[in-house]
Amino acid sequence: MRMLLVLAFTASLTVTAMSAGTGAQESPVNPFAQEMVDFRARVNDYMKLRDKATANLPDLEETKDPAKISAREKALGQAIAAARQTAKSGDVFGPEMSKYLRTILAEDWKSRSAADRKALFEEIPPNLKLTVNQVYPTTIPLVTLPAKLLMKLPMLPEALEYRLVDHYFLLRDRDANLVIDVLPKVYPTRNR
Amino acid sequence: MRMPHVLLAALLSIGGLTCVTATPADSVEPGLSQASRQTATSPPPSSGVMPPREDDSVRFAIIGDTGTGTRSQYEIAAQMTKARAVFPFEFVIMLGDNIYGSERPQDFVAKFEKPYQALLDAKVPFYASLGNHDDPTQRFYRLFNMNGERYYTYTKGNARFFVLDSNYMDQPQLKWLEEQLSRSTDRWKIAYFHHPLYSSGDRHGSEVDLRSQVEPLFIKYGVDVVFAGHEHFYERIKPQNGIYYFTQGGSAKLRKGNINRGALTAAGFDTDFSFTLAELGKDAMQFQTLSRLGKPIDSGTLALAEEPKRATESTPSAR
Repeated sequence: MRMLLVLAFTASLTVTAMSAGTGAQESPVNPFAQEMVDFRARVNDYMKLRDKATANLPDLEETKDPAKISAREKALGQAIAAARQTAKSGDVFGPEMSKYLRTILAEDWKSRSAADRKALFEEIPPNLKLTVNQVYPTTIPLVTLPAKLLMKLPMLPEALEYRLVDHYFLLRDRDANLVIDVLPKVYPTRNR
Repeated sequence: MRMPHVLLAALLSIGGLTCVTATPADSVEPGLSQASRQTATSPPPSSGVMPPREDDSVRFAIIGDTGTGTRSQYEIAAQMTKARAVFPFEFVIMLGDNIYGSERPQDFVAKFEKPYQALLDAKVPFYASLGNHDDPTQRFYRLFNMNGERYYTYTKGNARFFVLDSNYMDQPQLKWLEEQLSRSTDRWKIAYFHHPLYSSGDRHGSEVDLRSQVEPLFIKYGVDVVFAGHEHFYERIKPQNGIYYFTQGGSAKLRKGNINRGALTAAGFDTDFSFTLAELGKDAMQFQTLSRLGKPIDSGTLALAEEPKRATESTPSAR
């Protein structure tokens, strides 16, 4: 019986491997390639808008005065938010890219251990709500984005970063501490 | 002077690095520090700090998860200042979570400048890394010496330090790390960042995902020692792939009894706050970890062998 099971499993693996090989030959193009190109274009548009909106703000340089750092951050956030008053959830991610993100985030969730899943929500207050143009609350931690997951995501300019917080996937402006786009319910909501 | 205290010296040869651990005379467990026997109420010894062993060595202090502004942070800072009279460290490395909670200008004062005022007044520089509680704009705060970068490198004597942003290990950072490591011909290569690649902590445990990205580079380019925080205790990990790993996240926060001692733990201390001192000499690193009361809780020597200095060894299970 055991031998039969082993043989069946081996056969199954062989078929899977053959299918994967054939599939790779037939479909060498990333099905989300166009979405990624479009997403990058929207990110570039954001960066242009950001540059324009903040052109009059001085560059941030190292300082001993943290008041200057927080003032610059605030001014940057206000200028960007003012320039994007009508921005709404999904504007930068876009519908097709959002599908891709939900797919890889669902895979990421499945790959996590129970401890990992629990750690994701550590120190995150219940009923957290995050919206576009909101200042990211400085009193809650920036949950670490797994390095392997980051490798699957399109690269961003240094000014931007992805973040996972509670059930949200965010695009965050690092120096403005501003939520630029938000994808809700990428992970199960809090019942963990 | 230290020798009379030494009851046990365990010699471990792992790859090219040799670790001689020395435990205090009343320690009973081979290979473990006195950690589990320390209590917050123990009277401090007259001086538990060992002086440097070499004249031209690189001496530094290691603190992590500090930015609370609480009494414990001040007490550790006071012990660091006291220790510096015996062990004149030149600089301090910060392992992240430098400012907890809000990051208003007054928070930088209450959670950094005031607690370490004596050291700052003595012109001791601090070199920070970013933790998950830190706004990345901290990199512009001059007293953290990050030169406006999330990740950066600097040299001290015969050592190069690689400071990483483990919150966000993206492709540009990995590429940068490999470039910097490949260029380095320094005698010592030390990396530090917030999340521990190996940890026996019940709360977080090892950062396996991060480890899969950075440890191959550490091995390939011969990083000798890695410091991390995040777990609110002190732990010295048994050498992994020829690299020594320390967690020092107990310099202002504490998770009592959180170390799940197992295959990874060489020494641990989770009953009080602590900080670590290190000395990089020509061929060896001395380290000593002291409690909030100034008591030695772990110390030892890591000897650096000649190249080739690494041999692959099996890695214990991560969690």
